[in-house]
Amino acid sequence: MTVPSGVDHRLTPSAVQAVAFPSTRLGRRGLDEEHVRAFCGQVEAELVRLLNERSSLEEEVARLRRRLLGQAGDSTSPYRRDDAHIQAVGILSKAQQTADRYVADAQEYSRQLAQDARRRRDEILAEARSNAAVVLEEAHGQASQAAQAALAAPVPQSGPDRRDLEAELAYLRTFSEVYRTHLHAYLDALLRNVEEWERAEKSSLAAARAELPRVPPTVT
Amino acid sequence: LDTGRLKESFARVAAHGDEAVLFFYSDLFLRHPETRDLFPISMAAQRGRLIKALGRIVSEVDRVDDLADFLKELGRDHRKFGTQTEHYAPVGNSLLATLAHFSGEHWTSELAADWQAAYDLVAQVMTEAAAEDAKQSPAFWQATVVAHEMRAFDIAVFRVKTDQPLPYLPGQSVAIESEFRPRIWRLYSVANAPREDGTLDFHVRVIDGGALSMALVRSIAVGSRLRLGPPVGALTRGLASRRDVLLVAGSTGLAPVKAIAEQIGQLDDPPRVHLFFGAPRAEGLYFLSDLEKTSDTSPWLTVTPCVSGDEDYPGERGTLPDVMARGGNWTGHDAYIAGATQLVQATVSRLAALGVPADQIHVEDFGWSEP
Repeated sequence: MTVPSGVDHRLTPSAVQAVAFPSTRLGRRGLDEEHVRAFCGQVEAELVRLLNERSSLEEEVARLRRRLLGQAGDSTSPYRRDDAHIQAVGILSKAQQTADRYVADAQEYSRQLAQDARRRRDEILAEARSNAAVVLEEAHGQASQAAQAALAAPVPQSGPDRRDLEAELAYLRTFSEVYRTHLHAYLDALLRNVEEWERAEKSSLAAARAELPRVPPTVT
Repeated sequence: LDTGRLKESFARVAAHGDEAVLFFYSDLFLRHPETRDLFPISMAAQRGRLIKALGRIVSEVDRVDDLADFLKELGRDHRKFGTQTEHYAPVGNSLLATLAHFSGEHWTSELAADWQAAYDLVAQVMTEAAAEDAKQSPAFWQATVVAHEMRAFDIAVFRVKTDQPLPYLPGQSVAIESEFRPRIWRLYSVANAPREDGTLDFHVRVIDGGALSMALVRSIAVGSRLRLGPPVGALTRGLASRRDVLLVAGSTGLAPVKAIAEQIGQLDDPPRVHLFFGAPRAEGLYFLSDLEKTSDTSPWLTVTPCVSGDEDYPGERGTLPDVMARGGNWTGHDAYIAGATQLVQATVSRLAALGVPADQIHVEDFGWSEP
């Protein structure tokens, strides 16, 4: 018999395919019985080996499966695969709710800030309006005094008409002077405020832009 | 398909409220992490929308025709969010997992089969409508800000140019998303009639604590990129009407009304248009000088500004409905009204009381798309 065999003398399908039995000696028919019997012995040994290997692999699979399911061998374990998923769902839901709350808080905070700012702005505007009224009144007052003073002056040669004109001139001159002084002071204060505000906004915007995450487009 | 059984099953699960919807999204994101990127950071509003949509689908499951229109709109509307056909199966799986989880002992294989069949149908109508829509228009339009101007401390007027043409009707709105607030879409009216150069104007007022308005007013600048959704809304003018037109706009409600006025101005023989533009204070009339410039050269247009919250205002004082009511007889006019919800409702009631037929009174109704 010629059976091609591997290094570890195991039977392979190609060996079975290629097996060749020598013919019997002259006078007898068929294959050489001794060789056939030897071959059958080899096949049997191979089958036993395969079956053993299979059952040990099955055991290994079962062991690994048990380990995957949680505690090895304990079928009453509460940590079955589905439960693990449900647990993960629970944890993710909690995390989402936390994120929702943070966003809602931030929005509420921004709403309150904006409302406060709006109210404060209205107050400042109202104050500015009443200030303006006071300034106007003061300018009128001082101008009237100046006019009175001009009227009280001795009558010049050109007569009372000219005196009236001079009084009006004094009034207007004083009025515009007082008004301009106040306006200057007010506008200077306002400009300083605006510059401060612009600086603050620029730096906060730059900071916000720097922190902005890059968002890839969803669909291209 | 046993629709009674579906309704009963849905009611049982919906009784768990937000908990059930939370479960659904967590299940979806765990099984398909890539879908998380389609949603904003905060999911609170999203969950409300989902339960509302599901409730409507289930309640209309017997009226297939009504439902189909709604589902088609929903399918088209989801394109701008980046929804793809392959997202539908995972959503269905998570939906069934959620229903199963909250149905407990009531969950049977027949019920599961009914839900699967119902969902498959819904997904089919939505994906087909989306595919049909995709033949005509992109999922969203990329746009660049080409001008941005503060008109009041809380109002900005800005102009964008879209990469691809975005056809719309004067008075319609588009959803806007900014990289400053990813995945947050809000509807804004286009403030001009369509132009040759494809530019669109928007008027945005800061809503205190609002999710997007602050970014559009204070963060974006010339060069910023925005994404625009498809045009929606029915505040549009039928060209067949020969009636004169009454336009009523509170604050940035001016945007759609201005677009309609521009459309009328392009007609050879425009009807007479009377535009009432109101705000609490004079500084809120952020576009008045532009409107007056237009009306100076447009004999068909009359503009009446009014202020409701300042006793010293030299012009018309009072609320828009009051000023409008004493400003003329409107029974023969087509009326278009835009602004804050309360103001619009008050104006509509006043017009009805003045005898203006209901079919001549037009207000915006975004229907499902309302954020």
